[in-house]
Amino acid sequence: MGQIMGGYHARSVDLNSDDNPTFDPQAGFQYERKQREMIAKEEDLISARIPNKYRDYCAHYLLDYQVCRYKEMPLLYRCAHEKHNYLNCEQQDYVLRMKEFERERRLRVRENRISATA
Amino acid sequence: MSSKCIVYGCMFLNVKMSSLLKRALFNNSQSIRKTAALFCNATRNHWNYQYQPGPYPKTPEERAAAAKKYGMTVEEYTPYPEDMGYGDYPKLPDIGEDSKDPHYPYDNPELKRNFNEPLHATAEIFGGDRCDISIRRRFSLLHQWTWFLGTLGGFALLMVFLEDYKIGRPVTAKQIPGQGVHYLFSPN
Repeated sequence: MGQIMGGYHARSVDLNSDDNPTFDPQAGFQYERKQREMIAKEEDLISARIPNKYRDYCAHYLLDYQVCRYKEMPLLYRCAHEKHNYLNCEQQDYVLRMKEFERERRLRVRENRISATA
Repeated sequence: MSSKCIVYGCMFLNVKMSSLLKRALFNNSQSIRKTAALFCNATRNHWNYQYQPGPYPKTPEERAAAAKKYGMTVEEYTPYPEDMGYGDYPKLPDIGEDSKDPHYPYDNPELKRNFNEPLHATAEIFGGDRCDISIRRRFSLLHQWTWFLGTLGGFALLMVFLEDYKIGRPVTAKQIPGQGVHYLFSPN
């Protein structure tokens, strides 16, 4: 229910789920934002036959996890450490997307406020 | 061997085997299968030259003769339109067997039909266990269409009006490494 109630603030500035950010990434930051880097190599991903939708910024953790599974099968409980690393990385990625969403929403609200008073 | 099975099968179904049929069965190996399909079918498959209706009646005398042939009076006899190909077969009212009076003493109560009463041209679908388009509907057609279109249209309208009020997860698009530059929220 909180999603329904909280969604109004985003819909009122015409921002929907899975939109792309429209403002300059550096706008409003005192420091310079660090770029995300892709650690897993393309040839490793191809050789491990990872599906396309899993080739994101957490793919190096996924590769380690798959290697561990292959080595420890069928005693998969031994891969809990690698699995935890991968899931944490995915969660941080999702939190980053949420932060981007909120930043985009606040910048739009600010732009509306500025253009209303101008 | 198979023809003997067919013969005994046909006898079990009470079908008469004429000598002509026997010659047809045992002479040609292909026709055994075809003839068996004809005669060992569950429905009746015979034809009689009297089943053929006469040509479309054009003069009043022909109409009177056709009405007499089918046992109807001249006033109530109307043939089908000529281009439909029914000849002089009468166009009877579309009353299904289910709507007919169940307490009347018919000659043939299983079919709710009297002797020499003309059968409807499409009597095979008006049988007591089949369609009956003349019954009083529990809900009128207008009622049915209203509810059907109303439900579908209501849902469609709901979708159209709520298109701008969708709920979603509060996240931007998934950041894929090859497409575009992405940043963290910290300097390191």
